[in-house]
Amino acid sequence: MESNRSFLLQLQILTKRMVLRVVRRPLAELPNIFISAFFLFVYDGALGDVFGGSVSGTPFDFANGNFVNFILPVSILSASLSGAASGIYLVEDIESGVFKRYQSMPISKWAIILAPMNVGAVKVLLQASLILLIGNIIGADPVVGAIGYLVVLSLAFIGGMGIAGYSVAAGVKSGSSQGAQAATFLFFPALFLAPTFVPREALKGWLQTAAAFNPTTYLIESMRSVLVEGWVIDVLLKGYLVGGIFAAITLFLAVTSARKATEKA
Amino acid sequence: MLAVDVKNINKIFANKQDTVEAVKDVSFQVNQGEIFGLLGPNGAGKSTTILMLTTLLSITKGSASILGLDVATNDKLVREKIGVALQDTGIDNLLTGRELFFTTCRLWGYSKKDSEKRTAELLELVGLMEAADRRVKTYSGGMKRRLDLGLSLVHSPEVLFLDEPTSGLDPGSRRVLWDEIKRLRDNGVTIILTTQYLEEADELADRIAIIDEGLVVAEGTSDQLKAGIGGDVITFSFENNDDLENAKNILKSTVQEKNELRITVKDGASKIPGYLKDLSSNGVEVSSVSASKPTLDDVFLQVTGYRLEGSEDIKKEEEKSKR
Ligand SMILES: Nc1ncnc2c1ncn2[C@@H]1O[C@H](COP(=O)(O)OP(=O)(O)OP(=O)(O)O)[C@@H](O)[C@H]1O
Ligand SMILES: [Mg+2]
Repeated sequence: MESNRSFLLQLQILTKRMVLRVVRRPLAELPNIFISAFFLFVYDGALGDVFGGSVSGTPFDFANGNFVNFILPVSILSASLSGAASGIYLVEDIESGVFKRYQSMPISKWAIILAPMNVGAVKVLLQASLILLIGNIIGADPVVGAIGYLVVLSLAFIGGMGIAGYSVAAGVKSGSSQGAQAATFLFFPALFLAPTFVPREALKGWLQTAAAFNPTTYLIESMRSVLVEGWVIDVLLKGYLVGGIFAAITLFLAVTSARKATEKA
Repeated sequence: MLAVDVKNINKIFANKQDTVEAVKDVSFQVNQGEIFGLLGPNGAGKSTTILMLTTLLSITKGSASILGLDVATNDKLVREKIGVALQDTGIDNLLTGRELFFTTCRLWGYSKKDSEKRTAELLELVGLMEAADRRVKTYSGGMKRRLDLGLSLVHSPEVLFLDEPTSGLDPGSRRVLWDEIKRLRDNGVTIILTTQYLEEADELADRIAIIDEGLVVAEGTSDQLKAGIGGDVITFSFENNDDLENAKNILKSTVQEKNELRITVKDGASKIPGYLKDLSSNGVEVSSVSASKPTLDDVFLQVTGYRLEGSEDIKKEEEKSKR
């Protein structure tokens, strides 16, 4: 019995329980999926002809003839926002007293903290995959081939984990699940202080400056490179690097704040 | 070996604005197989004490051990031995009772098969078999309390901590839980429970510590505490205030409550005629008089100087439910 009670088993049991919680509230998943898919449809509908090159004589051919490819990263990153669920789930357990019960049992603190992170990660992967699928159906077609989708998914995952970490830290700090939820709204402006609709060079000066300091910019450009241009290694790597640093920082904050919450007052 | 040994524990909560000394100096010992009641009003420090003993809060000063294991230095081992049901139940509303038991069994290291078996046992034990596959959201307050108790029993703990296990329950549900707690004790489990109900302490606890403003102000069996009052309580009641005021001067050392005067003496019943003679010879009219053995209520009044609010309510509720 003793050896069974290993960390991995605990993590698995706690993750499973949390998945059950997600499954019991299917409607809670819809808004983010809907918004992400909606972005894809309306931006393509509104801007696709102008920037996609099918309106004759248009001077904007940065989308390389396929605007769905170009706009897809924005929808994908919007799907990555579902990673914020990690913080919300963790704080819900603190609010309900379930967290305290686990603390009174001989269970690894790490398992308690990591279970909601796991679920956040799975949500990001599922939502991003769904958006990729929709994108594919309405005409996305990575220049580098299908492997481009995997690159995009991996970048979405890194971004999603960054958001998950941020939500855990914000949630534990604010002490309420509403706090965790509210804090993630910060990411919506971040989605637009970036080369969202046109390449960075085409932005006005102030927005170009803001975009340069926004990690979202590098994730979008990195995804875009494989979708629109091909293997542009330095742009691609910059996405992984900036996304990785962002995720590392927020995950560090998440772990330190969550650990504090498990410590005795 | 003692089940619980608490030596002068103290808890100070310090934050930026102020510091609160929630527990000033609490000591008590609990023998194995005993129900020990911590009785006290709101804010007495009961929950804080429980949280310290269950390793969920650090102890500022003093020390405590469970089955010989120090709570501060051996917290992991202590957690293996104890079951805890806190004042705020830690229950996941989205899952069913069965799922909650199963998950908790798995976390305690039971195999899947054993978890299923243990889940069924516990559902039976706390009377939730019929509601087992309903989401906990739909459970009544009493069912949630029973579920919470059941969840603290998964690993058959040797020492069980229950923080106000029956608060907010109707008399019927309270009885059910009392019986359950007694049955656990009879099976050898040591139980430390807190309560603000005198009747609960009286009915359930083998020994009681009265705790007030972070201090233990009395301790013993219910009978010992009552005996400590030093006699019987004679209650005189009066129709008019002048009579009451006069009687106060005549009887000396009385305690007034509304239109009643109480006096504690040895062999109360035999002394009533003498008192009545004194009073009537001074022209004081007494509307009724009675002698009774002291209750925990009287003990509480004596050691704290006030009555425990809420204990009246439980009596009224009991009467209401009898009708
Ligand atoms: N985390 C905390 N920070 C500051 N003060 C606290 C904290 N927890 C408890 N207190 C204070 O300590 C005192 C004792 O609280 P405690 O919860 O132990 O009382 P209690 O006897 O359980 O009361 P109740 O019957 O209402 O549950 C109260 O004055 C309370 O305000
Ligand atoms: Mg309390």
